[in-house]
Amino acid sequence: MNTKKFMAFLLTLVMAVTLLAGCGGGSGAEDSTGASGEGSGSGQDTLTIAQGSDATSLDPVAVNNVYSSNVMKQIYDNLVDLDKDGNVVPMLAESWEVSDDGLTFTFHLREGVKFHNGDEMKASDVAFSLKRAQESAAVSHIFGEIDPESFETPDDYTVSFKLTAANAGFLAGLAHTGAGITSEKVVTEEGENYTNNPVGTGPFKFVSWSKNATIELERFEDYYGTKPELTKMTFRIITEATNRAIELESGGVDMAFDISTNDISRVEENSDLQLIRKVDNQTTYLAFNCEKEPYNNPKVRQAIAYAIDTQSVVDAVWRGLGQAAVGPVAPSVKFFDDSLTVHEYNVEKAKELLKEAGVENLTMTISTNDRQERIDMATIIQSQLKEVGITVEIEKLEWGALLEKADRREQDTIMLGWTCQSSDPDLALYAPFHSQKNGAVGNNYANYSNATVDELLEKGRVTTDEAEREQIYKDLQATINEDTPWVYLNNGEVVVGAKANLTGFEPTAYGYHTLYNITFK
Amino acid sequence: MIKYIIRRLLLLIPVLLGVTFIVFTMLYITPGDPAKMVLGDTATPEAIEQYREEQGLNDPFLVQYGNYMRKLIFHGDIGTSYATRRPVIQEISQCFPATVKLACSAMVVAICLGIPIGILSAVRQYSIFDMITMVFALIGISMPVFWLGLLLILLFAVQLKVLPSSGYSSFAHMILPAITLGAQSVAVFTRMTRSSMLEVINMDYIKTARAKGQSEKVVILKHALGNALIPIITSVGLQFGTLLGGSILTESIFSIPGIGRLMVDSIKMRDFPVVQGGVLIIAIAFCFVNLAVDLLYAFVDPRIKAQYK
Repeated sequence: MNTKKFMAFLLTLVMAVTLLAGCGGGSGAEDSTGASGEGSGSGQDTLTIAQGSDATSLDPVAVNNVYSSNVMKQIYDNLVDLDKDGNVVPMLAESWEVSDDGLTFTFHLREGVKFHNGDEMKASDVAFSLKRAQESAAVSHIFGEIDPESFETPDDYTVSFKLTAANAGFLAGLAHTGAGITSEKVVTEEGENYTNNPVGTGPFKFVSWSKNATIELERFEDYYGTKPELTKMTFRIITEATNRAIELESGGVDMAFDISTNDISRVEENSDLQLIRKVDNQTTYLAFNCEKEPYNNPKVRQAIAYAIDTQSVVDAVWRGLGQAAVGPVAPSVKFFDDSLTVHEYNVEKAKELLKEAGVENLTMTISTNDRQERIDMATIIQSQLKEVGITVEIEKLEWGALLEKADRREQDTIMLGWTCQSSDPDLALYAPFHSQKNGAVGNNYANYSNATVDELLEKGRVTTDEAEREQIYKDLQATINEDTPWVYLNNGEVVVGAKANLTGFEPTAYGYHTLYNITFK
Repeated sequence: MIKYIIRRLLLLIPVLLGVTFIVFTMLYITPGDPAKMVLGDTATPEAIEQYREEQGLNDPFLVQYGNYMRKLIFHGDIGTSYATRRPVIQEISQCFPATVKLACSAMVVAICLGIPIGILSAVRQYSIFDMITMVFALIGISMPVFWLGLLLILLFAVQLKVLPSSGYSSFAHMILPAITLGAQSVAVFTRMTRSSMLEVINMDYIKTARAKGQSEKVVILKHALGNALIPIITSVGLQFGTLLGGSILTESIFSIPGIGRLMVDSIKMRDFPVVQGGVLIIAIAFCFVNLAVDLLYAFVDPRIKAQYK
């Protein structure tokens, strides 16, 4: 009988707990018994960061994704860096010269810079690292124009090389983690195992990596630059957005990336926490397949752009996160044209244009991946386009399958995002709009082809005069806007939750961030 | 018995051959180019082509399968991950312990709760206790893991702040995941134990035991449960085998770096070697659990032991 009573009690307890949990609600912000060992004003010198996915590799040339870059940014220094306004500033290179034709780059390196294994960084390491970047399949779209045969190292602190074609955005590209400087000796010795033992010259050195769980770094005491106040940095991989917010609230982490729309208000209302936001360089767009009937007619594309009320789509789906996009490049990208007149919502104008184009009873498919926000946007667009007599079918595909469909160039329209990984407009516009980069071979998923645009894109690459370049990119934005290969939907936003006493964090617009300057008040 | 075990282990060979062939074929026909997924959609066509050539992705299906099997059989090599370029065995061996830990904790919760509750329900059939437990068992089976996990986190980690919400390093970290993952198994075991006990509880030998003046405890736990155990063991074995295959939802909610997450990430990335390696390891684990269950039968039921020759 006693057993029975005990079991009944146990069972009731478990069930009651489950039900109670359901009645919980509330934000829990009023609770003061946080699990964190570090209070405010504690002089805390360790940083724990929650991010949504594990790094794929810690070899700079092996991958190109923000999760890996976030970790590598702390381990590797580059020849140059970008300041918060996107200007190129010295890092491992103290100075540099670019030849008049924009093809030859000469960098003068800092002396006495040490790798984490104690070896001194030499020009040969720089040449080795950049050659690897040039050969790498993952980042060759940024560094592929380096001529691998052209490297010269007249002394240990000077390195020069040539590009096969001039590219005004190249210097800014050198700040990408793909061009992080690695030790030739370590990379050669470690071979395939290098990713488990990465060695850079950055302010933090690698300690350990537990797959899908944590990556630990510690301060590099021989760092040539300003020594960070932090001594340890731990990346915790927490895939669920809600869990990242919960861990932040309960003090398990000091900062959390990618706070979701649902959790923003919880973090904002909590006085122990702060929310750091910055509109990023991602533009989500609906691209027409410009080589397919009837989307090869600019009037049809413009009509559809007029028939979509982008602002209401963005407001409904993103609920204050990011903003409606107002051009083919994001606002933080250099030479962004804020005077562009985008197609304002106008149903009558849309109907008129469709009539002029002779298009009636159009059935259009929007292909997109299984990301919920994109499906939601497509659903609202579906109802908006009904008003102008267009029937929309939404085709939801898994990412790999969507890319394969885009490769075949069979879609009517496709909803995707494009992130400019530097501040230079070349990276924002060349790949998605140059005719040589159509969906089968590149990122021009609109299969858009306009000789003037191609010419301007090529000219923009090689022009070094800033004023002239600005004009080129403004002309480009205007021409693309007029041709309407894309309906611009939204620019994303970096949303980072952090403890209220955390300072020194400047989010960037391209997804990965410098974390070693963080301090705690 | 030894002969039986050897025969069963030999049977593993065709099973695993079948598994590798099916998985290989399914991955081969899945849309999406591994080269493009691994290198990112910004990679140049030349880079993608070079990568496909390096990894042998341009070879015909049978050549690819042949190469894979040759490495597997002659070198015991299950390949290198496309994405991380690390050996697959290294990737899996980093994730499998977390999955085993999670599966074992969930099973402990499920067995410790499910079987006793099932016994009590059977003994007190149609009582209030029986009815309540059966309703909750139904809820347990139907309740989405994701929902239960989040509710438990909200209560214990956010409101009460007594347990951590994610991670897997300590005993405290495992409590919520074990309850979340174990809840469904508790329900399954409760129902299974109850029905199995009810089948035997009215048998003549139970009446005989009672007539002999045995205490109720001995009658229930020894005579009835002993005979009712076979289907319960089967169900425990199957459940455990399934849990060893990883539980993507529980692993995701509690940020446990288990094999479920590894597999789903690898499928998304079209990291075929990891998916193949993962399925292979899970299949082996499943086969061994089944074998262990079959061997357990022998200890529970002497009649079965006699057949193991």
